[in-house]
Parts: sequence; structure tokens; C-alpha cells
Amino acid sequence: MSERVVLITGIAGGLAQLVGERLHALGYEIVGVDYRREPHLDFPATIYRASYNKTKIEDIIRRHRPTHVLHLGRVGNLKEQLGKRFDLNVLGSRKVMDLAARYGARRLLVLSTFHIYGAHPHNHIPIFEDEPLRAGTGFPQIADAIQLDNQAVLWMYRHAECRTAILRPCNVVGPDVGNAISGYLRSDPVPVILGFDPMVQLIHQDDLVEALVRVTEGRATGIFNVVGKGTIPLRDALRVGGGHQIPVPSSVAMGVLKLAQVVGAALPPYLVNFLKYPCIISDEAIRETFNWAPRVDQREAVRSTIEGARHVDAPPGAR
Amino acid sequence: MLTEKLRSMLLVPEIEAAVNAVADRVGEYDSWGYSPEASKLYFSLAYRIFQYFRPEVHGIENMPTGRVLVIPNHSGQFPFDAITVAVACLVKAHPPRLVRAMAERWFPTLPFVNIAFSRCGVTVGDPVNARNLLEAENALLVFPEGARGSGKTWDHRYQLAHFGRGFMRLSLQTGAPVVPVAVIGAEESIVSVHDAPTLASALGMPYFPIPALLPILGPLAYLPLPTRFSITFGEPMRFSGPFDDEDEVIDQKVAVVKQRVQTMVDDGVARRDSIF
Repeated sequence: MSERVVLITGIAGGLAQLVGERLHALGYEIVGVDYRREPHLDFPATIYRASYNKTKIEDIIRRHRPTHVLHLGRVGNLKEQLGKRFDLNVLGSRKVMDLAARYGARRLLVLSTFHIYGAHPHNHIPIFEDEPLRAGTGFPQIADAIQLDNQAVLWMYRHAECRTAILRPCNVVGPDVGNAISGYLRSDPVPVILGFDPMVQLIHQDDLVEALVRVTEGRATGIFNVVGKGTIPLRDALRVGGGHQIPVPSSVAMGVLKLAQVVGAALPPYLVNFLKYPCIISDEAIRETFNWAPRVDQREAVRSTIEGARHVDAPPGAR
Repeated sequence: MLTEKLRSMLLVPEIEAAVNAVADRVGEYDSWGYSPEASKLYFSLAYRIFQYFRPEVHGIENMPTGRVLVIPNHSGQFPFDAITVAVACLVKAHPPRLVRAMAERWFPTLPFVNIAFSRCGVTVGDPVNARNLLEAENALLVFPEGARGSGKTWDHRYQLAHFGRGFMRLSLQTGAPVVPVAVIGAEESIVSVHDAPTLASALGMPYFPIPALLPILGPLAYLPLPTRFSITFGEPMRFSGPFDDEDEVIDQKVAVVKQRVQTMVDDGVARRDSIF
């Protein structure tokens, strides 16, 4: 049995698989869990299908006694019902964290999101890790993500023995990523908000994987924003993709999304604000603490997301 | 292409040269969305406004290099004073200075305006934005009177409204000097006799001016008269002391700047022969 066993949640997602592959190459034994279907992996790993809030996850952790837990399984997939997202993201995350401590994990990494800062007209630039999380004020759909992050932060201070790092990446894109923003960049035609063109930050999957590996291998605890190289106006990013832009008045976009939600469509209305207002975060802390820096610039990240996806079938619901 | 042709027709060579010569270089965009390329078109349009008011510019040699807080009086209902000061710093200063204006918090919610402002380097007037920009050696344009100043009615013309403390704390914190500025002529461009607060709050605006010429000109009364502006840049003022001192101590320093601007405004008004 390997001395270093890493449990990775969300293993059906493209990003988790890339991290798993890297950590395997570094000598980790990989145990993957996902509530979705079991994926086919190109590297040796033990895979389970289990909900993070059910008893099966207890058995998995008891059996494998992971030394490292990478909780990458936040459900960003908004097709899931609010109730189910709460169960997985809030109850499930809490369970994963508690089990990690109970069975002696020495490193815990929680993948949160920059969405919790919220895109707000009053946002200053950049936003640091200790600032208020504005996203929840207007939109209850983001509440589970905020609570996940909050309880991870509390947990970090309560359990010093399990060195915890919480990562808040900006928009994650790449050929293997199937989240809302990657899908948006690949759309043609692509709706934009009439009269708005905020600055955005995109992080390429390769840069985020490198950050996750460095943080896994490191010892420092804390909350860390993670961003790609540079910033770019949203419409410039879309121009790289080449999709035909259709300007839509903000109120119409919001109305359509609210209506669409009733019939169970994917995008929550709060994302409209991310197409209007900036939410630019600082990655100073992770750069200094883990000696990490992004390499892929914004345009290259978009190109890779679109061109790569033509060859690779992005897994559904990946982060 | 038509848009390219239109762009080249609108671009003012003097503005292009000035933006290219600005020392505070950024790449294609900075994090706030300022774009040297895109700003050339917007500043060219601003230059037409500048020409419309035909400002006399005095004391531009007082603009230092590096970090600085440019502190003018505020008036005129619309931010024509900000536009003319910004263009003056671009085309009259040696080397040209790009001033980063600190704007009302509602500008990011205004369609199209938010894009134009951001591309020209305008940011939300927030202490974190301001400090970051000053530490990067930018020139900041701050109106400490805020909307109280620009929305003032005719009976309060050329009387400075209450000055906020933010700019002084920034000056103390970053060591940036304060350049006091007097703008004369904006008060008469649109003469507001009344502020309609109910209408303003219904429209989500900080104030709603009622121009004196409204009964005669109707909506045209909201177009500014071609008054002649005069812009005077005073000598840089330096302050020392803790930036997080008590309000009372900060207020004393703010009062020095306010008094300086008021004196410059009074001198400017007294010196003027005609408002046109």
C-alpha cells in the first residue's frame, strides 16, 4: 500500500481526472469518488460511485484511510435541483471533511469558487480572500456554494491537525472542462448583455491542475484565490471563440433565465451579473505561498477551450 | 470597413499622440478595463467637448510625475469639468498625464457608459481602487464634493460644498501630493435653479437638475451653453501624519485643501471678463 493515498471527490469531472493523473505520476495511490456515473480513467485508480452525504463514503474512507483528501466535488452543475445541491455541497462536504479528520488525513483541499464574491457594480479591483461574499444578497441559488466555503473555513481553524487549504478559482476553462463558462465560450451564436462588457479572468485547466498539485504537496493552510494570466474584456474573449454575439437587454436575459429555471434549464439568473459587472480577484497569496504562477494567457485559454473540445468529448457536468 | 473608416475620421491625432506618450503604460488592458487603444476614440470625443468650452489652462506645469491626487471643485450638473480637466492633462501636460477619474458607484450600472468610462481609465470611487492606482504611480482625479458639488444650484455657484475625507487619507497613506484645481465656467454651462429629489430617486440618480431655461427651451435646456472654461492647476500640496488619525485631525487637513481650492476659484471668477 502506498504511503500517500489521495481521495479525490468529483472524479467524473475532467479537472479531477487531470489532477488524479498528475498525482498518480507523483506516486500517490488514487481513490476517486463521484455521485455521477463511474468514469473511464487512463491511469490506475479505485473508483466508487457514492453520494458525499450518504454512508457509503464513510466505508470508502475507513477502508482506504487517505492521507490526502481533495474535495473537488462541489456541484457546480446547475441542472441539479437546489435541494440536491444543498445535500451534496453542504451536508456532503461537511461529511467528507469530518471523515478526513477522523481517519487521519493530514492534508485537505477544498475547491470552492470565485462566484461567491459575486459580480457587483460596487466591486473594487482586485478582491482579496478576506473580503465579504456579496453573491448571496440577490440570489439564493448561490447559497450552497457560500455555505460550503464558510464551513470549510471554520473547519480549517478547528482542525489544525488536518492542514486545510481552500481554493477559490475564477472561471475554469479548457478542452476537458464542461462547466457553464466553457460551454458559453463555445456557443455560437452567443448572447451578451447589451451595453456591458466587463473584464473577466479565465484560468486554463493546466494552470489550475498545477496549482492543485502544488497545494496538495505543500503544507500551508488558508484561503487562496486562483486566477489565470491577465484579464480580458468578456467580448474580446468571445471574439477569440468566433461565436456570433447577440446583444440582449439585461432585463430580457434575466427574465428568460428565470422562466427557463421553471422548466429546469441550466443557467441560474445570478450568472447574468457576471456578464455585466467585474469580479476580479487577486492571486497574490497563492503565488507567494506556493511559488505558483499561471502560464496560459486569456486568449490562449479560450482557444484551447474551443479547439480542444472539437476533439475531446467533454464529460457532462464537469467543473 | 465602415467602422474603421468612422473611427479614423473621429480620431484626433493630438489625442492619439498624447495617449501613446503617456508614461503610465499598461498592456492591452489593465484590470479595471482601461485600454490605451480604445481610449483614443473616447478621448477624441472628449476633445470635441474640450474644444466646445475653449478652456484657458493655467499652471499645468504644476502636474508632477508619479502618483498624485488632482482635486478640483465640482459643478455643472454633468461631468464636463471632469472631461475638460482630463483632456487638459492629456494634451497640455508635459509629459501627457492620464488621470484616472474616481466616479460615482452607480456608473457601472449604466449601459454603454460603463464601457466607455472603463476603457478611459475611470473606476468606481472606492478606497481600494484608489490606493492600488496610486501605488502604481497613477494620477487620480477625485472630486471631494461628489454629487453635492456637481448638482449644486445657481444660488450656491462657486461655493464649495462639503469635502469628503477619503482623498486626504489616501494622500497620507500613499504619500501622494494633492494638486488643487479650480474650474471656472462649468457653473454657467447649465444653470440649475432647483433639484428635484423625488424625480432623482425615482430614476436612481443622485440629483435631478431643473435648468432655468427649461420653460423656454424644454429638454434642450439640458444641453450646456458654450461658456468659456478656465482651468487652473495649483502648486502640489504635501501632507504628513497618520492616515488613520481621528476625523477631526483629518478634517483640519481637508480644510486647508478646500480653502486653497476656494481661493483659486474666487480668484478665477474675479479675473474673468466674460462667461463666453
